[in-house]
Amino acid sequence: MPSSEPEVQPLLQQFQQLFFISKIAGILPQDLEKFRSRNVLEKSRSGMVYMMVTLVVYVMFYNLLIYSFGEEDRSLKATQSTLTFVIGLFLTYIGLIMMGTDQLTALRNQGKLGELYERIRLADERLFKEKCVLDNSCIGRRIRIMLIMTVLFELSILVATYIKLVDYTQWMSVLWVMSAVPTFINTLDKIWFAVSLYALKERFEAINATLEELVMTHEKFKIWLRGESDNTTSLDSSQPPQYDSNLEYLYKELGGLDLGSMGKGSVAGSGKNKVAPVAHSMNSFGESIETASDKFPRNQMSSNLVYESELANVSKVEEKLNNLCQVHDEICEIGKAMNELWSYPILSLMAYGFLIFTAQLYFLYCATQTQPIPSLFRSAKNPLITVIVLSYTSGKCVYLIYLSWKTSLASKRTGITLHKCGVVADDNLLYEIVNHLSLKLLNHSVDFSACGFFTLDMETLYGVSGGITSYLIILIQFNLAAQQAKEAIQTFSSLNDTAGLVGSVTEMDNGSSTLHDLVSTTMLTPTTG
Amino acid sequence: MSPNTWVIEMPTEKSRSRPYPQRISPYGVHHPSRDAFTRTRDPPTAATPTKIVDHPVFEDIRTIMSVLKASGLMPIYEQVSDYEVGPPTKTNEFYSFFVRGVVHALTLFNIYSLFTPISAQLFYSYRETDNVNQWIELLLCILTYTLTVFVCARNTKSMLRIMNEILQLDEEVRRQFGANLNENFGFSVKFLVGIAVSQTYIIILKIYAVKGEITPTSYVLLAFYAIQNGLTATYIVFASALLKIVYIRFHFINQLLNGYTYGQQQKPKQKRNHNGHFRAALMDNFPEDSLFIYRMHNKLLRIYKGINDCCNLILVSFLGYSFYTVTTNCYNLFVQITAKGMISPNILQWCFAWLCMHVSLLALLSRSCGLTTREANATAQILARVYAKAKEYQNIIDKFLTKSIKQEVQFTAYGFFAIDNSTLFKIFSAVTTYLVILIQFKQLEDSKVDDSIPAQT
Repeated sequence: MPSSEPEVQPLLQQFQQLFFISKIAGILPQDLEKFRSRNVLEKSRSGMVYMMVTLVVYVMFYNLLIYSFGEEDRSLKATQSTLTFVIGLFLTYIGLIMMGTDQLTALRNQGKLGELYERIRLADERLFKEKCVLDNSCIGRRIRIMLIMTVLFELSILVATYIKLVDYTQWMSVLWVMSAVPTFINTLDKIWFAVSLYALKERFEAINATLEELVMTHEKFKIWLRGESDNTTSLDSSQPPQYDSNLEYLYKELGGLDLGSMGKGSVAGSGKNKVAPVAHSMNSFGESIETASDKFPRNQMSSNLVYESELANVSKVEEKLNNLCQVHDEICEIGKAMNELWSYPILSLMAYGFLIFTAQLYFLYCATQTQPIPSLFRSAKNPLITVIVLSYTSGKCVYLIYLSWKTSLASKRTGITLHKCGVVADDNLLYEIVNHLSLKLLNHSVDFSACGFFTLDMETLYGVSGGITSYLIILIQFNLAAQQAKEAIQTFSSLNDTAGLVGSVTEMDNGSSTLHDLVSTTMLTPTTG
Repeated sequence: MSPNTWVIEMPTEKSRSRPYPQRISPYGVHHPSRDAFTRTRDPPTAATPTKIVDHPVFEDIRTIMSVLKASGLMPIYEQVSDYEVGPPTKTNEFYSFFVRGVVHALTLFNIYSLFTPISAQLFYSYRETDNVNQWIELLLCILTYTLTVFVCARNTKSMLRIMNEILQLDEEVRRQFGANLNENFGFSVKFLVGIAVSQTYIIILKIYAVKGEITPTSYVLLAFYAIQNGLTATYIVFASALLKIVYIRFHFINQLLNGYTYGQQQKPKQKRNHNGHFRAALMDNFPEDSLFIYRMHNKLLRIYKGINDCCNLILVSFLGYSFYTVTTNCYNLFVQITAKGMISPNILQWCFAWLCMHVSLLALLSRSCGLTTREANATAQILARVYAKAKEYQNIIDKFLTKSIKQEVQFTAYGFFAIDNSTLFKIFSAVTTYLVILIQFKQLEDSKVDDSIPAQT
């Protein structure tokens, strides 16, 4: 254990800058000094207090922002339709709710987060023992890229909106800066999640790569052996091979091969029926594998010492595969634990993403129709800023979903690579092991979900985009209908004023007039307009 | 695979020290205060069944059971022994029959009065559509309750069978481990009280809202309406409690199995002693325990299926009813809040009461279904963590894992959809969609009214 410890760098070493920024912004309450010196996340009371203070300050300023920018809204309320108002109110606060969820969850999880990374480190050590080397440096690069992207997006949205759409002659307009805070904090928090998830994915891939490598070396080993055997057979093809009788006995025992058919049948695969039934039933692949199955037992016997392939040594490889399986399970469990830690933030992020995406598009539509929109969504007045906002929000959500999906795919791939091992080293005993382990792997499930309400995979993404589209259609259609109804009434009332005769008609059937009017106006306006 | 591949190697005779060895329970030492399924203080091997029994089975859900028994939804079973219940006696059976007859008669009367002007008093109108809504709600409620009564009457026998199976299972656990599986079912009592309170509250609100003298017919209508709602809700709570019972048993075997996983096996020995051989079990016991676990798991799955079969029709209609109620009440609430100047606190409270009741019931149902399903599926996942050295142990593991590959354990609503947390999510997203559409229509209507009134004057 102590010998391997210096080799395995803890994952958290790559998180230095991110932790520093998160600490300053008040996302994580853990102790800064201990993190710097020992790369551990430990509880800290002062950090907790600091975080609470930041949370309160953010909430206060954000409310101040809503209040100071909401004056127009209050005057608007009378004219605006109620639904738009209520949705607007809800939308203004969802950012705050999201930020609050993130920070409170971080407070709740402050002990568990350290444990999680400790578990990852232990898993890394076990992987290292199995000669699975991981490169953490790309994680550090990823963090930097994400940070830069976040800052770029936030700044561009903030500055563009501030310059174009906020009246910056008043000093209160400085408060607009606060509008970027919730999304910024949320993004930082999600970077933690995304990068840790990415690290897990890398670990799964490392396991897969190790298994693939086993297969590769074994294939090379076999090619080398074949070359060897081809040499021998070509040298003395006319006569039966000159092995001593000891080995001949062993071949019969092991592979059911007799020496006479071995030399010729090795390439054509005619010795198929001599393979033991279990292996045979599994092995319905191409020619080369069948020939390999013929050759394998002999090769294992004769030249294990010359060329190394771990797959040839069943008892040793069993140990290794067992260990890899256990690490796989451990990583799956870590994934589950991580999902548990971030389940509420992810749920709130998804809700936020869905709402904001729909709202931004809807308000963009409203703005093109020169209808009033809530003042906090003024970025919707400019299509370019809208595009940036949308790509920022959707980028966050989609990236998380994509990564979760990829991770669970990578975890499922291990079973495939394991079977490749079984196929390439066509050996009865190994098949049994592979079957046993693949049954186990089948039961290692890592599915990322938001509180169990929906899983994070491509299907959900499709569902969400479908949802956004249908909501937009509904909202825009109704908006259109309302507009047309309004216009029609205005023309109708002006007609009414000019010709007083019509009044008697409307009085007669004012009970059913509403529906009738609605139908007639919506039907008629396009032709008149 | 031939049908008899599913054979588990029995342990050899010499490895079985006693016919019913007292094994180590994963929950630790037998604790007297946890003992509520049966109130006996006797040691489990003392052959109590022959004794005259004075402690009821299903003690921990007896409140809800008694309510259901009184309303004829559950048979008033006879307790044969500690671990067996028998069919009801003739008089009790007649009583249940009688109650159900009364219920059906009342239902008929209700439907009759709904379609005649007798009930007009109850449907004072704040708007035409709301009246229709209330009508549909009432009809749905009647439908759900009638269905519940019918299904319960039909399933009397299977319900008793399920209960007997659960009791047998408990007996076995008790015999082998000396552990009593029970948990605090306080939630069922809380829900009962909550349902009763909300129903009374709703009646009172309704009575206050009705103008003028209330006729006796209206009283009957209202009271029966509340009883119907309350009993349907109670049945849902009962189903959740049953699921919870199954969940606890699944949890027990999972805990037992958990002792064999590699994580627990690798833990240092002294820690195990310190915990009083609590977590990690000896690998030697594995064949015996796994046999027990597989048998338990199969039985539990059968019970789970049985419960599902008994109440899936009821669940479908309840979910439909609940969905409708939640949607209309949300809509009413919204209309009330946004209505200019005429907010009626009465309707607000009424909506809130309904929403609270239905949302909490939906949450309870989906949560308990989800938990139980997850626990049932977890057995295979935990077993996958058992790494045995010996080949025969590996074979034991493989057999179970192979069996459970395509064995999707789910609690379905008559096969239409699986009930778990995602159902809750789907219901609420559907409610939201409907609300958006409804509210938009409402606004369209309102804007017409608003604009045409000044135009005419």
